[in-house]
Amino acid sequence: MSVRGQVVLWAASLAALVALPLWISSPYALHIFILLFIAVATGESWNVIGGFAGQYSVGHAAYYGLGAYGTFILLQERHLAPWFGVWVAVAIAGLIALLIGSITFRLRGPYFVLGSIAVAEIVRLLALNWKSLTNGAEGILASEIPALSIGGRVITDWNGKLPYYYLGLAMAVFSVAANLAVKHSKLGYYLQAIREDQDAARSLGIPLTFYKNAGLVISAALTALAGSFAALYVGFIDPQAVFGIDVSIEVVLVCIIGGAGTVLGPMLGALVLVLLSEALRANLVAQGLFQLGLSETSATGAFLKENLAHAHVLIYGLLVIVVILFMPDGVVGFALARRQRRRSSGSG
Amino acid sequence: MSAPLLEVRNLSRFFGGVKANLDVSFAVPAGIVLGLIGPNGAGKTTLFNCITGFFPPSRGEIHFDGRRIDGLSPDRICKLGMVRTWQKVRPLAKLTVLDNAMVGALARTGSVKRAREIGHEQLRVVGLSSRAGMLAGGLPIGERKKLELARVLATAPRLILLDEVMGGLNAHESEDLIALLLEIKTRGLTQIVIEHDMKAIVRISDRIVVLSSGEKLAEGTPFEVVQDHRVIAAYLGDSTGAKA
Repeated sequence: MSVRGQVVLWAASLAALVALPLWISSPYALHIFILLFIAVATGESWNVIGGFAGQYSVGHAAYYGLGAYGTFILLQERHLAPWFGVWVAVAIAGLIALLIGSITFRLRGPYFVLGSIAVAEIVRLLALNWKSLTNGAEGILASEIPALSIGGRVITDWNGKLPYYYLGLAMAVFSVAANLAVKHSKLGYYLQAIREDQDAARSLGIPLTFYKNAGLVISAALTALAGSFAALYVGFIDPQAVFGIDVSIEVVLVCIIGGAGTVLGPMLGALVLVLLSEALRANLVAQGLFQLGLSETSATGAFLKENLAHAHVLIYGLLVIVVILFMPDGVVGFALARRQRRRSSGSG
Repeated sequence: MSAPLLEVRNLSRFFGGVKANLDVSFAVPAGIVLGLIGPNGAGKTTLFNCITGFFPPSRGEIHFDGRRIDGLSPDRICKLGMVRTWQKVRPLAKLTVLDNAMVGALARTGSVKRAREIGHEQLRVVGLSSRAGMLAGGLPIGERKKLELARVLATAPRLILLDEVMGGLNAHESEDLIALLLEIKTRGLTQIVIEHDMKAIVRISDRIVVLSSGEKLAEGTPFEVVQDHRVIAAYLGDSTGAKA
């Protein structure tokens, strides 16, 4: 497809998403879209450091949680409206990322992965035990969010889905745009060179630590933004919910399944994971199997009906195995490789 | 003679008890091609690693363009104008051939657009223009070697260190590359070349340094070196009749 064709396609999709709530008013449908926007935003955030630079951080919950806690604490203690507080939280997450990066980027490969997990766990334990600031394991319930006026319209009702739908959409678009900007900049080229071969990159004049840190700070800031948005949407946070390792893992999965290192990948990965987890939660998978002829009363049927809804972690695991075995570069990488093969076999 | 572009003084590099380089000294005046030869394990690649900042020397000094550079990082040394290629090629496999060259060019410019122009220019120089859009990982070995060269040239260096850039190439490809190196030389770019093919090294070098067991065994013009009986004993003697 030509570049122009792509731009038209994306603009049309965006317009459709903007117009969507005019037709769809079901809160559940809007909820799914909001979850999708959050997953896209976190996936694209991780993509900057994990996808482009190949630095597989499994500790992004630290930044997600810092965004969430920062915004909540500022709202609660300082009565700072979230749309101001979030930027403070984002800045803090960026600074902490610089600190974490200068420690963990001394490590390479699997050691970096382990280091990133360890640091995120330290942050989680801090949040759990620094009770005077974070309220510990009890968590924080969001207090009343003040009214926000945008372009003459005043939003006062923060309990409906609609404000979150549009803010979430804006955030997802911003994350995608940030990825595109990084990818086509000097930073993007350097991060990809680092991913492919660190020694070759160094020999070509790339100071590794500087560029890795730059990538991590951008990634962390975007993750903190998504984290604080998600927390405001849910309305409640506790250390496990926003600093837990499952947050870190889910962010990574979105990218790996969709295709790390591409801008499209995290969008596809988010779609797959959000739909899958909702289908499992609503037991749609078991019901689909019954439709296909599996007896609901048979031993297998009863077992699936009972347990499949709780098995999303298991299914995620299977999905990751399938993706790594058959599509090591994710859905997008798989499609690109097929196209490349076809093209090169076509040209002889 | 003016000050040499590169000067290595009494350089030693130890790995535990192993003396990979011992008390090596030589100078490279600007504009020449210096051949670096020696049997396997003579310490040629270690010397490259020391000069380009990948291993700090255990002892000794390295001066580049009047500036002491031992202890600087490889990226700093690249910025100063000295870049190496790798014996075992290191393409940025999942980037295109053009992107590879652009990464080199970005050492000199912050503009991606300008880097793309430089990238195209250098691909033309090495004859890879038709491959620009391909993934670097898909190139055959001969073209990977050329890509290494294009990438290094794109950093606008003043001294390049080529580590067996002809290794693994067939006769025709080697001939191509020799012509290319000679052409680069006419533009005044100084080169240090590690090569096993004696015929090639004698053709392109102005001077040759011979290493053996980590120490400098001999240095001189190609003519002097190939007649030196110590060199024949150490380097050629153990492979008489082989392709060397």
